[in-house]
Amino acid sequence: MSSDTRTGTAVGTRAGGRFGWLDRSLVSLVVGSALIVLGGALVQVSFGAYSMTIGQAWNAVFDPAVWTNPQVLLGFFVGEEATTAFLSAVGLSTASVDLSKESLIVWNIRLPRVVVGVLVGMNLAVSGAIFQAVTRNELASPYILGVSSGAGLVILLTLVVFSGMTAFLPLFAALGGTVAFLIVYGIAWKNGTSPVRLVLAGVIVSTVFGSLQTGLYLLADDISVVQSAIAWTTGSLTGTDWEQVRMALPWTVLSMLLSLVASRQLNVLLLGEKTAKSLGMSVERVRFALSGIAILAASAAIAVAGIVGFVGLIVPHMVRNIVGSDYKRLVIGCIFAGPALLVAADVGARLALSPAQIPVGIVTGLVGGPYFLYLMRKKERLGEI
Amino acid sequence: MTGVEPPEGTGMDEPAGDGTEATKAGAERTDAETEPAESGDEQAGSEVEVAAAARNGRGTTACELCGEDLAVGYPSTDEPVVECESVVVPAGEITALVGPNGSGKSTLLRALSNQLEPERGSVVLDGQDVQGLGTKELARKLGLLSQENEAPGSLTVEDLVYHGRYPHRGFFESVDEDDAAAVENALNLAGVTHLRDADVGNLSGGQKQLAWIAMVLAQETDVLLLDEPTTFLDLHHQLRVMEVVRTLKEERDVTVAVVLHDIGQAARFADNLIAMKDGELYDWGPPRKVVTEELLRDVFRVDASVDSESPTGPHISPHRAIDE
Repeated sequence: MSSDTRTGTAVGTRAGGRFGWLDRSLVSLVVGSALIVLGGALVQVSFGAYSMTIGQAWNAVFDPAVWTNPQVLLGFFVGEEATTAFLSAVGLSTASVDLSKESLIVWNIRLPRVVVGVLVGMNLAVSGAIFQAVTRNELASPYILGVSSGAGLVILLTLVVFSGMTAFLPLFAALGGTVAFLIVYGIAWKNGTSPVRLVLAGVIVSTVFGSLQTGLYLLADDISVVQSAIAWTTGSLTGTDWEQVRMALPWTVLSMLLSLVASRQLNVLLLGEKTAKSLGMSVERVRFALSGIAILAASAAIAVAGIVGFVGLIVPHMVRNIVGSDYKRLVIGCIFAGPALLVAADVGARLALSPAQIPVGIVTGLVGGPYFLYLMRKKERLGEI
Repeated sequence: MTGVEPPEGTGMDEPAGDGTEATKAGAERTDAETEPAESGDEQAGSEVEVAAAARNGRGTTACELCGEDLAVGYPSTDEPVVECESVVVPAGEITALVGPNGSGKSTLLRALSNQLEPERGSVVLDGQDVQGLGTKELARKLGLLSQENEAPGSLTVEDLVYHGRYPHRGFFESVDEDDAAAVENALNLAGVTHLRDADVGNLSGGQKQLAWIAMVLAQETDVLLLDEPTTFLDLHHQLRVMEVVRTLKEERDVTVAVVLHDIGQAARFADNLIAMKDGELYDWGPPRKVVTEELLRDVFRVDASVDSESPTGPHISPHRAIDE
């Protein structure tokens, strides 16, 4: 096509707008979510079996002994062995540091749980957002496409039948979710897939796997196995440690970066399959790759916290209501709002019935149900993006 | 091109109303290299020259799109929905596909744009088989606007039009000046510059269609296929859309194929008509030749009179629907 009418000045509002997508609604969402996470963290580190005042707790959080000694901080995030190896390689001190009792409790017990909550929240929210674009259905979540049922089945199998291999539970759970999704994709495939076929296949696989799960419960002879299984299948942050942080962090960073890069593909996918195809997108390939990113994110969450329901469903939904359907903004919103919901819910899970703790998945379910009821009554058309 | 017989009713030796275009269209569908010996009169000779001239003169900008020996169906149907031996969308002209509901117009258009893989035959764009082209490569040469388009309501017109640049951008590339200029041009051409910041969800049907057309224009393709772009629009917006199409052809030498429901509109705006009936080509050529009372009776099952002397193209006065 000739381009004679082009002029250099015909550059529209985009020219100066490298950050044009960063508008007021997104900024307030990000700031609000960050404040909620901060508030949740404050509550989480302050209350618990060992009581300390809020001032003490915050002194412990900002303990200079932690922040000024890289070997301590790095030790939490990458593990002590790797830290020692790395620091001695670059010639920094690896001497151990004595921390106060408060700092030890906050940094070793209470804070890692918050960090895990943050990671799980962003993974589930972004995963849900991607699945909603792939299926073009607002009601899609990581779990409607079979991921949860597959992971749940493998968790139960491991706990009940192969109880010697519980050390690999997180890995197995993530693998189970991936395999279940592949089965769903295979069932849905007939000269390519379609959003409706994907959702239907997800329901079929979930039903069958759900039955198998229930059957396995009957085989469990020990009540503690059943309790452990329930904690995994409803999603819980109880007992999470820096080890869980180290397990989830690399996959979380990777999947968040990939989803940001893929946001344009997600936007084009929202224009419908026909349009995406006529714009030159290999729709089937892109859909599969995007699902892979979403599975990666969901797996990282499942591996450390089990199956926390509703977060992947309601967070993208709330964020979409605030920032609109553009996926760059949506993904960024989810990266902040997901943690906000999960950390806040975990405050309830840990402290509401103190000293007893309930799985955080129960709290998200109790919050998510009414939210959806409210949406259903308020909106005429729920479902289509 | 293979030496196929022209479909009935197009008698290639007949000179048609307005000479050049008819001859050119005729030449495109006759095999000029192998056939002239058979039709030894002067008419055929001049057709060969025009065809050669057309081929030489082309090549720089305008592209020709043709389908050969096509059979197109859907996975759910046993029989092909559309079968045709040869269909040509001449370079740099507007070709309208007309026919009653279910005659296979949209199916043919989808096959021509490689959205639907033909069961048999091939589609050739400017000498290249479209199936051999990469998806993005094809989308840089050929744009398609489907009949019904859904966009998220909160998408702005400008963002929608930017999506038209998808085939021009690599996976990691961000918007560059070419993209911005193409989008600006497309907004101008479609006449929706003033709506750039409006949400697509808040537009009227006609404005929405113009926004979508702007998106396809931003693709900057040499060939543009439009599936019923004027259906459901009010008269003002129907004319706006058709004027955009005409501008594209006149100023940018874009090859356009457009499915139109209104045969009167097709007769006014198109250089060529392709009339379809039951999945086959019934007739093709310039409007003055194709639009006849016979066509309206056989294809559209309408009793009508046609005033082919009208200065704005053949004028149709429908009288009544013909019973089965």
